[in-house]
Amino acid sequence: MAENTEEKKPAAETEPDVSVPGEPFELTILPLQNTTLFPQTVVPLAVGRRRSVSAVEFALSSEEKLIGCITVKTEDVEGNDAKPEDLHSVGTLVTIKRMMRAEDVMQLVVQGVDRFRVIEFTQSEPFLKAKVEILPELTVENQDEVEALKRNVRGLIQEALAMLPQVPPEIRMSVMSQEDPVQLSYFLGSVLDLGEENEQNMLEASTVDDLLTLAHASLAKEVEIMQIRTKIATEAQSEMDKAQRDYVLRQQMKAIQKELGEDDTGERAEAEQLRERLDQADLPEYVRKEAERELRRMEQLPQSAPDFHVIRTYLEYVLELPWKKSSPEKLDLEEARKILDEDHYGLEDVKERILEFLAVVKLRPDSKSPIILFVGPPGVGKTSLGRSIARALGREFERFSLGGMRDEAELRGHRRTYIGAMPGRIIQALRRVGVNNPVMMLDEIDKLGNDYRGDPASALLEILDPQQNNTFRDHYLDLPFDLSKVFFIATANQLAPIAMPLRDRMEIIGLAGYSDQEKLNIAKQYLIPRQVEEKGLSPEKLQITDEAVNVITSRYTREAGVRQLERTVGNIARKVAFKVAIGEEGKFVIGPDELREYLGGPRFYPEQARTDLAPGVATGMAWTEMGGQVLFIEATKLPGSSGLTLTGQLGDVMKESAMAARSYLWAHADELGIKVEDIKENGVHLHVPAGAIPKDGPSAGVTMTSALASLYTGRKVRSDTAMTGEITLSGLVFPVGGVKEKILAAHRAGIRRIIMPAKNEADVDEIPEDVRKDLEIVLANDISDVLDAALEPDSAAPDKKSEEEYAAHAGEGGNSDQGSDRLVAKEES
Amino acid sequence: MAKSLNRYFHFLENSGEAKPSGRLWYPAADIYKTPDGWLVKVELAGVSAEDIEIDIQGNQLYIAGCRKDKTCAAGGSVQQLEITYSRFEKSLEFPGSIEEAKLEHNFEDGLLMIFLKTG
Repeated sequence: MAENTEEKKPAAETEPDVSVPGEPFELTILPLQNTTLFPQTVVPLAVGRRRSVSAVEFALSSEEKLIGCITVKTEDVEGNDAKPEDLHSVGTLVTIKRMMRAEDVMQLVVQGVDRFRVIEFTQSEPFLKAKVEILPELTVENQDEVEALKRNVRGLIQEALAMLPQVPPEIRMSVMSQEDPVQLSYFLGSVLDLGEENEQNMLEASTVDDLLTLAHASLAKEVEIMQIRTKIATEAQSEMDKAQRDYVLRQQMKAIQKELGEDDTGERAEAEQLRERLDQADLPEYVRKEAERELRRMEQLPQSAPDFHVIRTYLEYVLELPWKKSSPEKLDLEEARKILDEDHYGLEDVKERILEFLAVVKLRPDSKSPIILFVGPPGVGKTSLGRSIARALGREFERFSLGGMRDEAELRGHRRTYIGAMPGRIIQALRRVGVNNPVMMLDEIDKLGNDYRGDPASALLEILDPQQNNTFRDHYLDLPFDLSKVFFIATANQLAPIAMPLRDRMEIIGLAGYSDQEKLNIAKQYLIPRQVEEKGLSPEKLQITDEAVNVITSRYTREAGVRQLERTVGNIARKVAFKVAIGEEGKFVIGPDELREYLGGPRFYPEQARTDLAPGVATGMAWTEMGGQVLFIEATKLPGSSGLTLTGQLGDVMKESAMAARSYLWAHADELGIKVEDIKENGVHLHVPAGAIPKDGPSAGVTMTSALASLYTGRKVRSDTAMTGEITLSGLVFPVGGVKEKILAAHRAGIRRIIMPAKNEADVDEIPEDVRKDLEIVLANDISDVLDAALEPDSAAPDKKSEEEYAAHAGEGGNSDQGSDRLVAKEES
Repeated sequence: MAKSLNRYFHFLENSGEAKPSGRLWYPAADIYKTPDGWLVKVELAGVSAEDIEIDIQGNQLYIAGCRKDKTCAAGGSVQQLEITYSRFEKSLEFPGSIEEAKLEHNFEDGLLMIFLKTG
């Protein structure tokens, strides 16, 4: 070595004995970025910087090709040449084993020899040089710990290699056979991408213990990452494998089913049929999406799974629903009027209102359909009016009854999670009619029940609100269905039981009962021809005279509608049919005299107006669900007692109005010519027959007042007069409901004079002309109007006489108990 | 890690160097059994005789030294480098003790010939 050192002075002179630590010598320094070299490892390097190239050139010109590699601290700015202070103080002495030049870059293969520490930098241009000392071999502090760490590291390496199938076996062998823990650690440090800081720490470690600990920690982390990545990859793989396996099995099953001749009935076939139908069906996008999702689920299921049938039923439902199918709009108002007239006699104002609704629908076809509520007694034709509306509109008709419905689920369906779940009535009805704009009749809406299972009326609130029923969501379908094209018609017998919010959503059309004249016409035009035909007869065989019909309506039936009338006519027709069938010849004409033969004795003796009323008796009018009725209010004095006795199943409201009547009379006794002592000394008993029927309401106020006034004054109440109206204590007369029915009933009973509240004047227009022309109607604003009209002029008869008349009259009534009571009263007075 | 390992192994294969060695490099050696002992042939081209150290311990023959590049010292620069310079070591094991053997050596065409005469 001595000969060569003359020219290449510094390198040659300080050519170190690398095996001797602690002797300082000068070394060419190559700064490295992003990598740390370890002793004994072989690493490729690319050198391109001018300063680095000159350092390598210089090293290459030495005999042993040694150079010191020091890693640059990461915070250093790239692009600038590293200054001495940017470098770590510990580096690796390497020998350059290979070198190739490629343009400006030198490709090196270097091998680490030893670790060194920089004592001081001696030169920075044209390349770095430093005085360094070789660091001593690593020492072992705790042999047991080193051994344990070494074993752990080897275990981890084994794990890592197990996850790296592409590593060739000879390399596995060489790695696994590496016994020296230091070499093993350095190897790991160079192979693993640990980051500059970790690698530098490993390089600087001065004991085997520290080095192994660092290597172990880094390797453990790497292995964990690898395990997670492998796991993810494996899971993705197994997922794919499963799908593939399913597919293959399905194909095989298909083949087996084909062999067994079952392929047409298998679930695949069923699912395919459904898919075919789904593809052809005209569905809104959101429905199609949901249906396809369900179908995919179904295809995954075996036919024996319970869910399979649930989904199939569901899909069939979805496919059968008229999502977009409507009846063509056909609206000819003239035609509609003709249809309504054809189907129903009378009901002029109702028809008028229906036609008005239809006119709006015609002018604005996209307008929300109105929701109509028909209120009226049974048998007046509410349901058949709905049918007529459907006919007039040319739409499908569907009706169902809400009577007794207690469960909200009946309207809105059950969720599909329940066994045997079904859609609600609304959706079922839509499926039946197959179009989305039918006329749908909700019968008996006043008879909705409710209990702990829910309140169907509340569900109806949504269904019947044109603002929100375009997204009606049945629990079963769980898809919004547009109900806004459905023409809803509800019917009820009474308005009162219908919840206010529900009533508020509907256009209310009242249908009162029919008058006798109307019933006669209905019987002649509709009921008799229909019954005659139904029983297989002909008009030539059976004829029922008008007089007979009148007797039937008054003596054999008691109703506002015509249902009993039709049934009674039907009875006659059936009996005639029997006679014809056993061979009786000739034409059967049924007059009033024949009725007893066919129908038996008359069933009703309707409360007829009494021809003569005793003082203390007045004729009132009541409203019932069956229509109207006249009733009598009877009052009598009970000398010696005091107070007011009320009988006849009166409700609180009615009792209170009796008290108000008495108080009013007492207060105004002078004006009315009543002796105050008379009121004071005698108690009063007020009775309203028939005693078995509960009665309530304020509308008997005027009648009670008249009866009491008559009793105290001795003036009779006119027997041709019936009255209704609520009274106040100050003597005003307030309007009441059901006036039309009441007046019709009074007319039937033979009353010809009506006293009613002036505020009910509008109701007079509803009374059929044929009834109205028979009646004298007195409108009363206060009680004095009522009494003026009701009481006969003062007969100036003494009290005694009127009492006798009363008693006689009461006796006439046929009630012996009542009679004797009154006789006692007479004796006492 | 897999990537860096692969890169590393790839490099190893191309370099023709079997594995990360101990200290620096190992020269290749053949051992012949001769009637009077052993002949050890070590591939040590370019190594000066004075830079070689030979030692015997028990049944081990230990050869170490340093190949120094004396060419470039004359000036000029390296264009390509494939020969490994610097220190080398080689340890050879024999079936029996060779401590008593007589040792001769000479250089022949770049090969170090070591004769161990046991007989």
